[in-house]
Amino acid sequence: MNIDIEKLKGIVGVENIKDDIADRYIYGSDSSVHGSLASVVLRPTTVKHVQDILRYANAELIPVIPRGSGSGMSGQAVPIDGGIVLDLKKMNHILEIRPEDMLCKVEAGVVDDELNRALKPYCLFYPPAPASSRVATIGGEIANNASGVRSVKYGATRDSVLGMKVVMANGDLVTLGSNTRVEASGYQLDRLMVGSEGTLGVIVEATMLLRPIPKFRCLGRASFDKLADAGESISKIIAVGALPSMLELMDNIAITAVNTTLNMGLPDVEAIVMFEADGKVKEAVDAEMKLMKEICEKHNAYGVEMSYDVAERTKLYAGRKKLFAALSRYQMGLSCTSLADDMAVPYSRMAECAAKIHEIAKRNNVVMTAYGHCGSGCMHTKILMDPTKQEQWENARKAVAEVYDYVHSVGGTTSAEHGIGLSKAPSWKKEKADSLKLLRAIKKALDPNNILNPHKMQDAPDDWLTATKLRYPVQGK
Amino acid sequence: MATKYLQKWENEFNICIRCAYCFEGCPVFKTRNWETDTARGKIILAYGLLTGELEPSKYIAEKIFQCTYCRDCSERCSANVSVVEILAAARAELVEAGFATDIHKGMVKNLKETGNIFGDKEIKAPTQEGEVPVFIGCQYLARPNQTKMYLKILEKLGVKPLIKDEMCCGYPLYALGFPKEFEEHRKKFLEMFPEKEIIALCPTCAAYIHEEYGKSVKHITQAILENVPEKNLGLKATYHDPCDLSRVMGITEEPRQILKKIGIDVVEMPRNRKTSHCCGGGGGILMSDVSLSDDIALVRIKQAIETGAPLLVTPCPTCEQVLKKAAASVKEKGNGEITVKNLSDVVWKALR
Repeated sequence: MNIDIEKLKGIVGVENIKDDIADRYIYGSDSSVHGSLASVVLRPTTVKHVQDILRYANAELIPVIPRGSGSGMSGQAVPIDGGIVLDLKKMNHILEIRPEDMLCKVEAGVVDDELNRALKPYCLFYPPAPASSRVATIGGEIANNASGVRSVKYGATRDSVLGMKVVMANGDLVTLGSNTRVEASGYQLDRLMVGSEGTLGVIVEATMLLRPIPKFRCLGRASFDKLADAGESISKIIAVGALPSMLELMDNIAITAVNTTLNMGLPDVEAIVMFEADGKVKEAVDAEMKLMKEICEKHNAYGVEMSYDVAERTKLYAGRKKLFAALSRYQMGLSCTSLADDMAVPYSRMAECAAKIHEIAKRNNVVMTAYGHCGSGCMHTKILMDPTKQEQWENARKAVAEVYDYVHSVGGTTSAEHGIGLSKAPSWKKEKADSLKLLRAIKKALDPNNILNPHKMQDAPDDWLTATKLRYPVQGK
Repeated sequence: MATKYLQKWENEFNICIRCAYCFEGCPVFKTRNWETDTARGKIILAYGLLTGELEPSKYIAEKIFQCTYCRDCSERCSANVSVVEILAAARAELVEAGFATDIHKGMVKNLKETGNIFGDKEIKAPTQEGEVPVFIGCQYLARPNQTKMYLKILEKLGVKPLIKDEMCCGYPLYALGFPKEFEEHRKKFLEMFPEKEIIALCPTCAAYIHEEYGKSVKHITQAILENVPEKNLGLKATYHDPCDLSRVMGITEEPRQILKKIGIDVVEMPRNRKTSHCCGGGGGILMSDVSLSDDIALVRIKQAIETGAPLLVTPCPTCEQVLKKAAASVKEKGNGEITVKNLSDVVWKALR
């Protein structure tokens, strides 16, 4: 690949380009199992920079991989074919906060938590709340359709997007969506960009819907001796029409991991359910909490703790917030790999899904946990294994396939919020078998030269294990 | 590349899930904005050196040495990845491969020749007989007035400091990637300082002597708090937590209680205690990368000015030094004003 570094310096300035192998190596990985080498890293600071870069790349057929903080778990930001990694973190200005319109306009590189800090004085918040909100950029969240603990009430990123500005593969800047809550007609191209993982355009600006910070928020935590009871409680809470603002599950593996790593002192039980309600009327929040507590207790929950107090709530929730990384210390010799890391199943299958994950893990000689924002149908797991052993990777390959075969068999979907990228692509392609042609036609129409994050999602290799070099030192490799 | 020092951390690289949560508070990342500046970026570089995917280079050394060792990343890492330990090992590899900076090499030479990092033979501990062993450390030894003030404070509070001849605690040798030199130094240090319990003036020495030599170390703020009487200075100040004191030793409340007791109203910066923003003075960058150190210090001093307090107090001589410089720079540009003082200044003012 011939890249004219001098030309690119002319576009972004010498201070915003890196082509040392050290930088290219770092920008070749994210939080997935994958690793590749970027050809060059550019840090645009203006929309014009992005347009000029894409015009150049499109003419020269150079891949361009947009990147936020690189916290994705499925290899979305890994430059599988090399090319230009577009680090958008310096486009991080909050352009407008319009409380009267309940919206804000931000550049793509604004970090979620920083936006929420800026919104707080207006008593407003931006709700998707992925666990990575401390580093995740709004552009990355849109590209992945991220969500998190509050998705059960406030929805995913998709539900907060009003509009956006996108630089297309040929460098054209387009304005999609609107500044209004409703927009009836047309192809809803803003929605098309949500979850497209940088394969259709580079999101440079977003208009996002805001919500009022609820006056009251109460969090509860219930312990269970049976994972099935915890899963059933969650299904029931949703089925009776309760309105939680958070409904989370943690199995014993997850509990052990946070207790071992962070000395959290969570109850050593088979499962924990965390449930939260929020609102502007305390009596209404009380009623939701009472209902959820009763359902949990009906399903054999005990040791239920509930609190409105911020410090108490933070303490109750701390274990969940820190779970992902803590899983890496679950057991000496095992590492937490981002594989089969998320999925969604219908509510009625939640308990079964958790049990199935454990069964598949056992059969394939790996450890898998079951946790997630189950209130929105989202189940997370990770594969805990010795990543230095080739046979463990073969086991993981089988486990991933089996998990998603099960998920699809009950009408679930491959990704709830973490994206497809490379490692979930083989299963996703199976799930979307009858629409692959359509997906590829859309990609071809918007990016005819296939420069935008190529070979991801529907175009990703059929075997994630050999799609790129693994970021782990596998023996014999 | 044969990796002598990184091999030990092989498993730790697999424990890091590369979640990027360490970006959040990293002072180097916040001022330079490349992922290469983050803990994750540096861990990936160290991994590349270990696996041989990367060869040691001047550029990699520059990046690996651009860290203040403030441990903000460690504080935020839910997998408890040993970031500083890995970086120290990576630095050792790079030093061995011939990529030590002249400034750092000079400091090692100074240490060998004079026992202190400044290479100044005139820097001597003010030896005195007493009951409680007190370790002063290079930075305070180079500030004799401040040292005297702390010793007078201790005496006023009924503690009789025992001061012996001193040599550096050895932390710079470890931190800057000179493990062989440190091993020699270690033996000498233990011979010179066999005491099991000491009071240390400098937060970094306190943390390191406790961590590396396993001694029971009381930081001077803990010793002062035990006996400081109530006074009413009637001042308002913000308190800057030195990283080694807050994140390594967990000492966050004692200095605040001292200030409260002597009548100073503490106004907190949003980042305080274990999430305190680094001053920019640690990890060797104060010597090797002054511009980076200055930029980080400016971020912190601006946070202090935003509290509206006219005074910033800190018990660390390095934090004091870099923040004073930043305060002067901000004042010169007409962007605000704040006075930076060592904790000893205000405590002595209250006691005298």
